[in-house]
Amino acid sequence: MTNELSKRQEAEVEAGREPGQPLERYVFTPPIDIFETEDGLVLRADLPGVSVETLDLQVEDNKLTLFGRVKPEAPEGARLLHQEYAVGDYFRSFILSDDVDHERITAKLTNGVLEVFLPKAAKPEPRRIQVKSE
Amino acid sequence: MPVFRWGHYWNALHDIEREVDRLLQSVNLTFQTFRMGRQYPPINLYELEDEYLLTAELPGVTLENLELTVAGGVLTLKGKRNELEAIPEERFRRQERPQGAWQRSLTLPERVNEDELTAEFTNGVLKVHLPKAPEARARHIPVVEGEG
Repeated sequence: MTNELSKRQEAEVEAGREPGQPLERYVFTPPIDIFETEDGLVLRADLPGVSVETLDLQVEDNKLTLFGRVKPEAPEGARLLHQEYAVGDYFRSFILSDDVDHERITAKLTNGVLEVFLPKAAKPEPRRIQVKSE
Repeated sequence: MPVFRWGHYWNALHDIEREVDRLLQSVNLTFQTFRMGRQYPPINLYELEDEYLLTAELPGVTLENLELTVAGGVLTLKGKRNELEAIPEERFRRQERPQGAWQRSLTLPERVNEDELTAEFTNGVLKVHLPKAPEARARHIPVVEGEG
């Protein structure tokens, strides 16, 4: 019995899973809106079931990555009678242009919707280059 | 005066997304299928020992914009997605999220105690608890010997 159990755990670890985690795990691409405002771009993503604690939003180099974890919605032992959507995590990533001021990116999460504000970087002033004659 | 080409860089964004989408395609089939013209909102129904649990994904809906009614064994969910500001169409670079008002009616499982329905709404997920009526649980029926 103990042997069987540890064998199963080994198999799970081999498959890249933590022991005890459910075998089925979905990762979804969440639907998004992107629109332009005076000051930059606003990105909204539907992430139902994700809370501030389970959301990971990262800017690394020029890449914006969102990863939201979703906990099972029903208690253990519940029998699924009818299913129209699967429960899983959310992942999507974007390349940011230099036009975005990476330092001033802000985000908020309300009722399962993530809103990321990507402010326009200040344009450098045009600079006249002196040409000297020799 | 320089022309500020705000937005054209987002083409680069398409490319990486396609890449990621392709990687995820194998696990994404369920979601894609439901997005192809199924009813809104999508719901799941679970059975527990003494209740049924109905869940619905409603991101962007606020409590004020959500209405639940129950009558004659039919539960009606009604609401609209939060549109705080009207954003002109031409400002959109991309629009994938469903918008607007929606309504859906569901026939409740048999023998649900309609008077004791409770609902909670957390992080864009609605949960409706439908307690089973006492008669839905197995009942022992005594058999007595008939006369004659």
